[in-house]
Amino acid sequence: MIRIDHVSKSFPGVVALDDISFQIDSETVHGLVGENGAGKSTLIKIISGIYTDYEGDIFIDDQRLQINSVHEAQKKGIATIFQELTVVRELTVAENIFLGREPVGFAGALDRAEMERKSQQVLNELNVSFSPRDKVGDLSVANQQIVEISKALVLNTQILIMDEPTSSLTEKEVQNLFSVIHTLKSKGITILYVSHKLEEIFKICDAITVLRDGKHIQTSLKSATTPPDVIRMMVGRSLNMLFPPRTAQKGDLLLSVKDLTRVGEFKDISFEVHAGEIVGFAGLIGSGRTELAKALFGATCPDNGEIKICNQKMKLFCHPREAISQGLVYLSEDRKQEGLILLLSVRENITLPIVKKISKNLFVKRKEEQNIVDSLIEKLKIKVYSRDQVVETLSGGNQQKVVISKLLLTNAKVFIFDEPTRGIDVGAKYEIYKIMNDLTADGKGIVFISSELPEILGISDRIYCMREGSIVKEYTREEANPENVMSVLTGGSSI
Amino acid sequence: MNMPLEQKIQEKRSPLRNFRELPIFLFIVGMLIVFSIVIPGFLSARNFVNISRQIAVVGILSMGMTLAILTAGIDLSVGSILSFAISIGGMGIPDGRTIWVVYPLVLGLGLILGLVNGFLITRVAVPAIIITLGTMNIYRGITMIVTQGRYITPIPSQFLYIGRGLTPFLFLLGTVILFIYITLFTRFGRNIYAIGGSEQSAVYSGVPVQKYKIAVYAISGVLSAFAGLIFVGRSGFIQPQAGIGYEMNAIAAVVIGGTSIAGGAGSILGSFLGSVLMGLILAGLTMLSVDPYWQGLVTGILIILAISMDSFRQLRSDRRTL
Amino acid sequence: MKPGSEQFRSILILILVNVGIILVLSFLSPTFLTYENLLSVLKRMSELGMLAIAETIVFISGGFDLSIGTIMAISGLIAGQMYILGLPFFLCILLALLGGMAAGLMNALFIVKLRLQPFIVTLATMSILRSIVYGVLRGKTLSHFPESYLASGDLTILGLPFLFIVLVIFALLATLFLQRTYVGRQIYAVGGNERSAYLSGISVNRIKYTVYILSGFICACAGLLFSIRIRAVIPDAGLNSPLEVVTAVVIGGTAITGGKGTIAGSLLGVLALFLLTNGFSLLNLNPFWQLVVLGLLLIYVVGREGISKALVGKRLKKKTHQSAAIK
Ligand SMILES: Nc1ncnc2c1ncn2[C@@H]1O[C@H](COP(=O)(O)OP(=O)(O)O)[C@@H](O)[C@H]1O
Ligand SMILES: [Mg+2]
Repeated sequence: MIRIDHVSKSFPGVVALDDISFQIDSETVHGLVGENGAGKSTLIKIISGIYTDYEGDIFIDDQRLQINSVHEAQKKGIATIFQELTVVRELTVAENIFLGREPVGFAGALDRAEMERKSQQVLNELNVSFSPRDKVGDLSVANQQIVEISKALVLNTQILIMDEPTSSLTEKEVQNLFSVIHTLKSKGITILYVSHKLEEIFKICDAITVLRDGKHIQTSLKSATTPPDVIRMMVGRSLNMLFPPRTAQKGDLLLSVKDLTRVGEFKDISFEVHAGEIVGFAGLIGSGRTELAKALFGATCPDNGEIKICNQKMKLFCHPREAISQGLVYLSEDRKQEGLILLLSVRENITLPIVKKISKNLFVKRKEEQNIVDSLIEKLKIKVYSRDQVVETLSGGNQQKVVISKLLLTNAKVFIFDEPTRGIDVGAKYEIYKIMNDLTADGKGIVFISSELPEILGISDRIYCMREGSIVKEYTREEANPENVMSVLTGGSSI
Repeated sequence: MNMPLEQKIQEKRSPLRNFRELPIFLFIVGMLIVFSIVIPGFLSARNFVNISRQIAVVGILSMGMTLAILTAGIDLSVGSILSFAISIGGMGIPDGRTIWVVYPLVLGLGLILGLVNGFLITRVAVPAIIITLGTMNIYRGITMIVTQGRYITPIPSQFLYIGRGLTPFLFLLGTVILFIYITLFTRFGRNIYAIGGSEQSAVYSGVPVQKYKIAVYAISGVLSAFAGLIFVGRSGFIQPQAGIGYEMNAIAAVVIGGTSIAGGAGSILGSFLGSVLMGLILAGLTMLSVDPYWQGLVTGILIILAISMDSFRQLRSDRRTL
Repeated sequence: MKPGSEQFRSILILILVNVGIILVLSFLSPTFLTYENLLSVLKRMSELGMLAIAETIVFISGGFDLSIGTIMAISGLIAGQMYILGLPFFLCILLALLGGMAAGLMNALFIVKLRLQPFIVTLATMSILRSIVYGVLRGKTLSHFPESYLASGDLTILGLPFLFIVLVIFALLATLFLQRTYVGRQIYAVGGNERSAYLSGISVNRIKYTVYILSGFICACAGLLFSIRIRAVIPDAGLNSPLEVVTAVVIGGTAITGGKGTIAGSLLGVLALFLLTNGFSLLNLNPFWQLVVLGLLLIYVVGREGISKALVGKRLKKKTHQSAAIK
């Protein structure tokens, strides 16, 4: 039995967990659900020994958990599959699976045969076809996730924690994983299964805990609750309020892409974006959407294909500067690594793409810069105490607004938004949707990449489905529904 | 993503491609051939013994440096540890202390200084380059203050055996073999690569990263002290200024040997070959009576060549996998 | 720089450190707080201060330059050698400055074109250039310079040494450049997060060229100052500078990981270094105490956050543990 007792944890600018208490019974599969940013992963990282400075206590079988590292957690029988891929690309599958706990024989020498044998055993259970000797860097993202899962399965554990283990798996692989989970449960292992996908949770869990905005909302037996109940608790408001209504009118053709290819990433991609349109790109992780976006934007150089902006043929961009100057901008899925300069202020971040334009003889025009920044802070309702506040200290939603401000300043016509709502709270999500709405009402076009089916379906005017680097299907807003889109994405039956 | 996969695996598996040290090995062979042709007397046992003795000290330092760099760290304090350990550990020599007392003391001092590095790097959470830059200054300063800059000389002959004939080189070879074994075949060694490859992944996978890092710097400390003993054996006296600038030579050997300064890739064998190549070329140039002033030029060009080669390979494969 | 910001605080600490050193030394040594002594300290710190300015800019951009001291040596060498060859002196100076910039360009080419690590590249160029200095000078020194050039070293303006005033002017210009121009802004951005900067449309490569060439230029100027101060060009000029400069710059609050730092902080770091050297020699103390103090200061300054976090973390743990025990 695991008892979480008044656990709180904050990061600069966010309270990730706010006085959480609940209990996980032994030998059950316990579901932990909540929207992106609800605090699930943070809680997991506390139980697994990654975050050691938190308030409150965790008890395992009435013993206070005192660990300082994942290493110590594993010694206590806690194994975790983290949401982030933690594989080392240079090592083989077997070396990854046994990383940090390699079996050793004479004179401390590694027992490679044993490693490979046991790895093969786990891979067989999961019913996958790659070999323990393959280099992990050569595997697809889905297979890397399977390696990730295998890492936890070879451990001799009492408690197994899985944080969104299925995000890039196909239906079949998910089924295999679930049967493994069933077996483990029958062996007496306690499983904490984290997901924001309700179907999965209701399929395999015995009890469900809902988190929202860092707070514990409810823990109940599966039998005592229903999916609509859980959704209501997850989002904290009724469903029809989730997305602002689309009002923008479809206008002229803004962007047309023909047969764009980058070898090894995506192939023969053709699509169009009109003024006033939000065009959704649905796909599993690893389906090539981000790679496509980056190549369009010139962050990587596409191999061939054709891009037209406002019916003008462009030479394929090979530096973001070129794309920006032609009115195409990109919001990365990873705002910390690819959007913000965390050490710099809100002001300096917002004006970064145009800092040269607002300079005279090398010198930045300070008054003008301040005015621009202030008006954006007001327009997007960015919560800061000063325009000179360091962006590192802002909450996720406000950080995202800073990145969006940067893009707005470039006077772009086409915006590529890659997972713009990842890791931000529900209220801020709604605001981002509204910003997207306003942009399209202004005659801009938006390419909207998201792994959250509900938001793709909720706000896109058209949806392209990508799988393995190709667009496999296009839906209008009316045609699309969760079932048909999902089955296309996972390569299921109907196309 | 599927199409090139098969191809790529095959490329990676081809054994010659995996032998990263091949170019430098060939280079050494080439140098040997050239020197034996143009320098009369180069191919003599005495000459090789001579060269081997010169290689040993930096070679041993480069072993510890390799470990540190593999974890994406660095140890700038090796030269200072060397002189600290021998100068302070050797202070009893004029009073008649024997190697049985002095050697453990010297190695122990190396261990302690290395541990201090390790603790600071892991606890204070500051890049290793800064911490070891700081301790490099501190250790050097303490050495000079305690010894007042005085040499210890003469040294009893028992301290000189370790520096005679082939002994230094044999010790170097022994160290190399030991660390090849450690890096390739033990858990500690393999996990060092994982730490350098992606520290977060290593932490999340339950590798005791802190412990291993402390161990790496402790090992580097002990090896520095050990190199110091050989240094004393070779030179016949103890000078507190010993080892100044050796960290750069060790780093050069490691880098020439193909270890990536970003961590996660490289090998002990490479660093060994790197030290051999550097030693060989310097010896050859000296015998060609090229001014010693120009040695730095050669070292510098070797470094650029070595890392450029690696970078070309990287740039090519980047394009393919990205 | 806003009051209350982290940079402001680290500069404040440094001012306090320097004031502290000055107070202690003026108590301990009667000669310390004399005009002549302070004059000599300021004069002596000029070339290292220049190198610190160069290294600060490089660090802010996320780079590393070990070749600063060597570029300093080579610029003096070029000026001196060309003068001996009979070139007009202003041309010699021009060539020296161009030489420094060429060295910076070489660093940048390797770093940008081959995507090599700055630390290693500049380690190599340091070794190569130093070897050229040695090879040309062969242990000798050059001291054939126009007298008016050398005399500028004795010049004082408003009671301050000319060399120090040059340093101050460079520091002001560099600060203005970093804080007020868009290039300066882009340098911080590239150092703070190269990827984000690139995706914001900044020409990261162009910034790197700018930074290393600028660094070469400033180091070349430092070389000229040095030749004025010691009235000669010596083979070992700037041999230990990288270590001293990196120490001073990091003590001054500039992040080795880029995106953060100030010229003022670095110069305060250099000042502390020279005050300590001066003080220890006035007090007849072993000059190597300076190394120990600097090393400790370095680790303390960069590590204070980590140190206090480690301590606070421990305390926090203990507290929750106690509360658990009470329950
Ligand atoms: N390392 C971190 N630094 C700063 N904020 C973080 C960090 N990790 C998580 N957060 C923030 O904490 C909140 C909870 O995140 P997380 O636990 O990852 O949510 P979930 O897993 O439920 O999607 C989010 O607002 C997120 O932005
Ligand atoms: Mg999560």
